[in-house]
Amino acid sequence: MTGRIGIEALNVHAGFAQLSTAELFEGRGLDRERIGHLMMRARSIALPCEDPITNAVNAAAPIVNRLAPQDKERIELILASSESGVDFSKSITSYVHEFMGLSRKCRVMEVKQACYAATGALQIAAGYLASGVSPGAKALVIATDVSMVDARAGYAEPATGTGASAMLLGDDPRVLALDLGAFGAHAYETMDSARPMPDHDIADVDGSLFAYLDCLSNSFADYCGKVSDVDLRTTFDQLALHTPFAGLVKAAHRKLMREQARATPDAVEADFAARVSPSLVYPSQVGNLCSGSVYLALASLIDNAPYRGTARVGLFSYGSGCASEFFSGLIDEGSRAALAELDIAGRLNARIPLSFAEYTELLAENSRCLVPIENRKIEVERYRRFLDARPDGREPVLAYRGTEGYHRTYEWV
Amino acid sequence: MPQRSDTDRAAVTRLVHETVAAVLPQVPAEQITGDKHLKDLGADSVDRVEIIMALIDALGVREPMAGFSTVPDIDALIDFLVEVKQR
Repeated sequence: MTGRIGIEALNVHAGFAQLSTAELFEGRGLDRERIGHLMMRARSIALPCEDPITNAVNAAAPIVNRLAPQDKERIELILASSESGVDFSKSITSYVHEFMGLSRKCRVMEVKQACYAATGALQIAAGYLASGVSPGAKALVIATDVSMVDARAGYAEPATGTGASAMLLGDDPRVLALDLGAFGAHAYETMDSARPMPDHDIADVDGSLFAYLDCLSNSFADYCGKVSDVDLRTTFDQLALHTPFAGLVKAAHRKLMREQARATPDAVEADFAARVSPSLVYPSQVGNLCSGSVYLALASLIDNAPYRGTARVGLFSYGSGCASEFFSGLIDEGSRAALAELDIAGRLNARIPLSFAEYTELLAENSRCLVPIENRKIEVERYRRFLDARPDGREPVLAYRGTEGYHRTYEWV
Repeated sequence: MPQRSDTDRAAVTRLVHETVAAVLPQVPAEQITGDKHLKDLGADSVDRVEIIMALIDALGVREPMAGFSTVPDIDALIDFLVEVKQR
């Protein structure tokens, strides 16, 4: 058995364009009083030359390109989690494997369970690495999705993002050392939200939010059943939760604190500010990244929480349908240094702001992203000003240039 | 003499009205009628979460929140809470 297993590197790619929450509320005529509970500032918007594959590659490339050749060769497993599949058979991962130039001696597959799937993939990968059957092996887990919401989604439209979170797992967990075996799961069948067609999401708002909250209580209870002497208030220095919108995380924290600590409203508010709010800085600028969301929250807290020394993080992942997990791990000041190399905040700030009119023009083209079309052409040059605005402009990014005989084609820009 | 279920329903009705008024102070009391959904009173999703959490808490019951997602109006919410309380 290996000792420490966890996340060696973590990166998030959240697109090249953004739309402010205020602009979207104004454009749709939504009630501005609701922005307070939504707790969102902006959301990432995709370009037609982006898809789940470019998102995955553009999140993973800064990690993989920094690896020494002998370390890159040790990536033996790639799992892409997505609810934005591009084919019923061929996985997103097969394209990612090619564009990352990874070893052909590699397990390659895609997994799906709505916004939970990346955590399931991470635990499966961690279990493989911890088994010791291939000492020194590494795994790449990438959560990648694109948004399919429009005006029909109501108040979910301002909260939905696009992009990918990529994680390299191994036995040198510079970002997060997993507490192996410390987890709690809760799953059952429910129809709270789904993507029954490649261009349309459906959601039962109350059904989904209430299932999320039930799952948080139940997966935490399962965690407490497996780990001795857990105290919500003292065991975890920081918390990072799946973030459909930041306001729900605040309500979820309040629920758990009431149940577990019988905390007063003032105590809940202070605890939220200290242990949870650092995890919401990036999600409130990006929107829901689906299964990458909790890892965007983790990146946010590492970059923004004033922790010192070693800190234990409690993480909660929820995916409609539904499946959930509460688990934990350790971060330290090296985690902050590891993330700083990738400058997630700098790339979020570099996203070009869109007007509402520009956004609605993109919507029609973006809605075709996952629709199976035999041949299609995308003029990448039309979006060059967005792609060139990135602060790390010397590193090439992958763009989708169309489909030929159902084979998706790409180019490095 | 009133039946126990009538007494329970009156108490739960009062609790629902008090809870809705506390979370939605801008809504006049006379508008909180049984035929309305919480959405009709202007409750957004976070308000609805807060109202249901507060009701579960106040009644001291252990009931999954998911069970509340399909109640069509305040009358049905009160009926469901009475049922849950009497289990």
